[in-house]
Amino acid sequence: MPLYWLFLPALRAIFIKGKGKYLAVMHMDAYVGTIAFADLTLGRVNVRPYPDEMKRKYLGGRGLGTRMVADAITPETDPLGPNNVLVLASGPLTGSGVPLGSRYEVSTKSPLNDMLISANSGGVFGWKMKKAGFDALVVTGKANTPVYVYLNEGTVEIRDARPYWGTTTGETTEALKNDLEDKDARVACIGPAGERLSRIACIINESSRAAGRGGCGAVMGSKNLKAVVATGKVPIRVANEERFNVVKDRIRKKIEENGICQGLHNYGTAILINIINENFILPVRNFQKSHAKEADKVSGEEMARTILKRPKGCYACIVQCGRVCEVDGQPGEGPEYGSDWALGPDCGVFNLKSVAKAGFLCNEMGLDTISAGATIACAMEMSERGYLQEKIRFGDENAVLNLLKKMGYREGIGNELADGSYRFALHHGHPELSMAVKKQELPAYDPRGLQGHGLAYATSVRGGDHVYAYLISPEVLGAPQKLDPYTSEGKAGWVKTFQDLSAAIDASGMCLFTSFALGADDYADLIAAATGMPIDARELLQIGERIWNVQKIFNLKVGYTKKDDTLPDRLLTEPLKEGAPRGRVWQREPLLDEYYHLRGWSEEGHPTPQKLAELGL
Amino acid sequence: MKISIRVFASLRDFMVPSLELNLLPGATVGALLVELCRMYPPLDTAIFQSPGTVREFVNILKNGRNIHFLDGLVTALQEGDVIAIFPPVGGG
Repeated sequence: MPLYWLFLPALRAIFIKGKGKYLAVMHMDAYVGTIAFADLTLGRVNVRPYPDEMKRKYLGGRGLGTRMVADAITPETDPLGPNNVLVLASGPLTGSGVPLGSRYEVSTKSPLNDMLISANSGGVFGWKMKKAGFDALVVTGKANTPVYVYLNEGTVEIRDARPYWGTTTGETTEALKNDLEDKDARVACIGPAGERLSRIACIINESSRAAGRGGCGAVMGSKNLKAVVATGKVPIRVANEERFNVVKDRIRKKIEENGICQGLHNYGTAILINIINENFILPVRNFQKSHAKEADKVSGEEMARTILKRPKGCYACIVQCGRVCEVDGQPGEGPEYGSDWALGPDCGVFNLKSVAKAGFLCNEMGLDTISAGATIACAMEMSERGYLQEKIRFGDENAVLNLLKKMGYREGIGNELADGSYRFALHHGHPELSMAVKKQELPAYDPRGLQGHGLAYATSVRGGDHVYAYLISPEVLGAPQKLDPYTSEGKAGWVKTFQDLSAAIDASGMCLFTSFALGADDYADLIAAATGMPIDARELLQIGERIWNVQKIFNLKVGYTKKDDTLPDRLLTEPLKEGAPRGRVWQREPLLDEYYHLRGWSEEGHPTPQKLAELGL
Repeated sequence: MKISIRVFASLRDFMVPSLELNLLPGATVGALLVELCRMYPPLDTAIFQSPGTVREFVNILKNGRNIHFLDGLVTALQEGDVIAIFPPVGGG
């Protein structure tokens, strides 16, 4: 590859004749170079080049989506109104051929908590969107009747989706592929929950992979957008193929040799059930307990022994943590760890078949499994305490299945539950029983025994969340090194670094699970070889920091302040009762102040002018 | 003294998921592991990188606390202790 290709971005593209009327540009920097726009109010589509300055500052994926949404809406924008913007964006490494380079991100203003969020999904759709000729799709407005957006070989169309409205995600996916007579097409769609604007509705691609958190499925529903279909064979070329192949081989070897990645293949993410339980940090019955004797019954080991048919991977995946299972003749995918926990132990359910069925049902309804399960758990506790008329008991697996259906279709009590635990508990006078941060339900790790992970929960720029900084890795799993989960020392720095690196990985298109095996240098080397931009680890982390600050600034304007950077009272005041972490609560101070300081923010948690200048914001 | 042992994931390919061992008072986690590996030889390479060195990402808990933050392999055992042993596991 001639050296000048690295310095002249405009030359890293050649013109090719696309299919039909569109003259595509084939970029030689891992991007396909174009963004599709669909204004559903006007019924207009547009195709624009990918701005080069966005590549260096935001990479793509979560970075591109975050920037575009922040620029297009205001903090007052109604998340379920036509002025909200929905961005589906791949990263430069999506579909580049690097192992685990498959991800795409959905960025929007969340109807669950009004924050500027990004939700990540795997599968094949992100790669297919690039093969269809687009790095990203930006959707604005609201259609009068249900539509879907069709991306194919550099063309974008808004098409009638009335025949598919009212169907589940699996039915929609199959019907669209059949009607288009295109088995290679990939579909990202909403189910009944998204159509009914459930604030915990997700977007499902390939019938089972979810852009799960924050209610982005409801944003699609509010726009009358049933689905996005991507198909095509547009080539994806990297800038320096020789160098890219060298780095790719190095990375492949690291992933293959990594023990954690090997375990993921054999047992899926639900392998975590036992280790989290044995550490006495598995939230049980809406965080009332942190350990269950029966946990092994819903573990990854039990799944492998009973209902697992085969592992399954996303595009270019060599780990294959996905699970194809079968329960009573019904095939389906999952449950992943978060789903397994939320629909199982958090609801007091330890019947793996029932948990798997509940996961399948969430996929069909298009419900976020974590928020759905945690909301039911909240309702169960409220019922058992006598705060509800309905009798919903922990451990009642049939009640979980029935409630999920009601939530998907907004029937009966499901109408209230469909908007998440915060609104439900508040409406019934007991907001303290919603185990949520900034209105989003917490995931499957009790932070009372995890001081660093608790800080990650409290400061996440999309509310209760574990993948914006997965401190479980050092605090429980020992990667990249073992950190004492009970101490606060040094954790603020770890959280900041994990947050910035995770944002950058999300922007790159790589799967976060690669971080068990790779470091910032590896990602930077990959991105540099793929894009031709001479990005090193320091710059990569700064890109992540920039993304983090863009989300933070927006959320401050929405009204979230320092007082919101905390955890539910239960986790601050009710000590754990069992095992080694018995007696512990999450200690906010001095962690939070130290974190703000390391971020270069004021004591109130506002990015300072100096920090903004440093990040070019 | 009676010690309960639980193993998980791929370690269950080499031994039963749980058992109890009678050890002499004063025994350590290291001594327990040596005894386990004597009973189930394939465990040895799954747990140890070399004699006395536990493999990267293998986690051993005593009553829910990682022995890394206690006294490592010389962590003393008491009657009724529960030892949980995990090969490398992860997820999200």
